[in-house]
Amino acid sequence: MKQASKRWTGFVLWLAVLTPAVTLAAAEPEDIIKYRKNAMKASGAHMAAAAAIVKGKVPFRDQLVVHARALEQINHDNTKLFPKDSDFGDTKALNAVWEKRADFEKAARTAAEKARAFARAAAGNDLKAAEAAHKELGEACSACHKKFRKKDE
Amino acid sequence: MFGVAVTALSATAAFAAERPDAAHGEYLFRATGCANCHTDRPNKGAPLAGGRRLETKFGIFYAPNITPDLETGIGRWTEADFTRAMRHGLDPQGRNYYPSFPYPAYTRLSDEDLKALWSYLRAQPPVKQTSREHELRWFVRNREAVSVWKNMNFRTGMFKPDPLKDAEWNRGAYLVQAATHCGECHTPRGVFGGLQHDRELAGSRDGPEGGVVPNITPDKKTGIGRWGVSDLVEYLSSGMTPDGDFAGDLMAEMIEHSLKYLTKDDRRAVAIYILSRAPVENRLVREKKKKPSGD
Repeated sequence: MKQASKRWTGFVLWLAVLTPAVTLAAAEPEDIIKYRKNAMKASGAHMAAAAAIVKGKVPFRDQLVVHARALEQINHDNTKLFPKDSDFGDTKALNAVWEKRADFEKAARTAAEKARAFARAAAGNDLKAAEAAHKELGEACSACHKKFRKKDE
Repeated sequence: MFGVAVTALSATAAFAAERPDAAHGEYLFRATGCANCHTDRPNKGAPLAGGRRLETKFGIFYAPNITPDLETGIGRWTEADFTRAMRHGLDPQGRNYYPSFPYPAYTRLSDEDLKALWSYLRAQPPVKQTSREHELRWFVRNREAVSVWKNMNFRTGMFKPDPLKDAEWNRGAYLVQAATHCGECHTPRGVFGGLQHDRELAGSRDGPEGGVVPNITPDKKTGIGRWGVSDLVEYLSSGMTPDGDFAGDLMAEMIEHSLKYLTKDDRRAVAIYILSRAPVENRLVREKKKKPSGD
């Protein structure tokens, strides 16, 4: 085991010597993947926090709009988070993201629209309406995960 | 949300008026998730006309047509045939069904629920579509293998409530064990494909479509021990986990077509039962390998 990891380190060093410096302008796919995972995680946290408010479990009604705005802004165009070449590595994105691009873009657009609608509803006074909009946004999340995210393996 | 339900309901509304248990039948039909296998949703197949692929380590199963079509469905079945299939895992000719058909769970359904389910199925539109043969691996191609399996793993009989537990817990246990048959995917199986009952709901690597099925015992580290009852109730109705992620795989389908139609009380009962189980430590998602550092 130790032997193997030593060999692996050697290989990486060798690669590092041979590979010319990457131009600064192009983001590393690995960093893109990390970024989008964090963005998705942030969305999840806002969704869960918002759920507790719209369901009346916690009294932070005035915070609702903060979560909703964040969701709107993070998710305004998720297609950007999935550029070409970011399909390889530590990601659960399915090939369908790139192979069925039109479908993917449609799903991302739906999520953006639902997030916008939720932000609008959250800013209003009608908590029931906000709850309904939150639910619809959740459905948009599921719909996209269903088609474009890999199952655990 | 109720778009599908409304069309389905209007189709059965007339029927419901004649037979008060039709609504009960539809409820059971959703809870037991028949359509999750017998309707080939991925290929937009006709309802209950069969054809959904179920990949397992024993081969590929194709769920058969269970519409009342006389030639290709179960149109010639009697109620006794249906009851025998559900309770004993036997077809009308007395041959064993493969346990890909979750009769080890359905055998626990009450007589009343089986009756309601049967009258619901009878009322569905017949569809002519020949059922596809399973494509099984050699060692299970002979159906006799099933009788050996049954001997080892299958006990017929209705659910018996635990007198030491309250009605809500027992309702949850009934739903989980008999109707929604959670354990058929979430309970690990031994080498012979029998459920390991001492590790009920502890998750499995042999999920349908080759996926990992999570540990849903209340183990803090590897299960859902950090979930509260209200978290689980929420998940079962919308698919949202406590950290705001949304289910997107087969479970999402199970929620969309079955679990979200449960009544609030039933969903709560399911959650209470599941979270009352003994925690089992069983880690399924492999730990990520440490990458060599880049510098």
